Amino acid sequence: MNIVETDSGKKHPVEIKPIEEVDYKTLKKSRYFFDWKNEKEYEVFKLQIVGTNEILGLISLEKIQQEWRVHIRLLTVSKENKGQDKKYDKIAGNLLAYAAKIAVIDYAEYACISLRPKSHIVEHYIEKYNMKLTGVTLSLVVPEILDLINIYDHE
Amino acid sequence: MTMNSKRNKNSVEDADFGLDSRYKSKKEQVSEATSLMEARLMKMKNLSKGQIIRAKLMQLKLRMEEYIKQPTCDDQNHFSDFLKMYVDTIYSTRNKFAHDINITPIRLSQVINNHREPQDEFMMKLMIHSEKVYKNIGDFQKKIWYEVYFHEKICNTMSSQENWRPRLEKDIKFSEL
Repeated sequence: MNIVETDSGKKHPVEIKPIEEVDYKTLKKSRYFFDWKNEKEYEVFKLQIVGTNEILGLISLEKIQQEWRVHIRLLTVSKENKGQDKKYDKIAGNLLAYAAKIAVIDYAEYACISLRPKSHIVEHYIEKYNMKLTGVTLSLVVPEILDLINIYDHE
Repeated sequence: MTMNSKRNKNSVEDADFGLDSRYKSKKEQVSEATSLMEARLMKMKNLSKGQIIRAKLMQLKLRMEEYIKQPTCDDQNHFSDFLKMYVDTIYSTRNKFAHDINITPIRLSQVINNHREPQDEFMMKLMIHSEKVYKNIGDFQKKIWYEVYFHEKICNTMSSQENWRPRLEKDIKFSEL
């Protein structure tokens, strides 16, 4: 899994790991949008360039076992990686692909990841990640969920 | 460009900064779960056998990748369990797999049931077979079967020291030290 430095096009290998208690001290709302301490009862993962300590993105997940589904509750890139002037590209895609991996590891052909974004960004997730809209929920299932994993695993 | 469309353009560019995807209420979550499940079941009905196999093989690959990263050991037979999963996902009978890699069904059964260690040739044949199978499924590390096998071997050896160490320590000498 890699992210791309937007200025140079250089790829950097990344790792996604469960957040540690000590990380919460560094997760300021101004840089990571949410108060991540409120997500402690869910599974929260951080994305970092291999060999560095800086957190570039975060995702919080809820496994809904009875529905073979992993629901993405919150996702953010760090502030300097938003919008047109972002430093690195593909942070969010890697985090989504990681959620997809968790779903496939547990549920194989039944695997599903879901999102409930605000209406004005629904189209963005449909176009960029090939998600499907049902009601207000976006989802990705087999076979498209496998394609997402492959796209981000190969890069 | 109107104020609204400008705002929406900025919002889309910032779509990955602060994506709040929580349901607004329990009621909304329950109602969404029902309609989502209906849509998914419809789609699942139309999955081909090939798509199901692809998903299962992806699951196996990801599980193996996770296993070799685990620092902790347990008493599960991971290599043989993964092998079982691999063979049973692709073949209707294990004998057919044994035939395809040119070994006897008895030998395959012994490896799968932990009555015999896999020999080098078995591992190499398994590697070649998997490479071909995974060609259209996903990025496959050809050394992964070896990594799983040796990871389990190391775990078993290190966690059972009390069984072998006392006996072997008696045999070890340091005549030149």
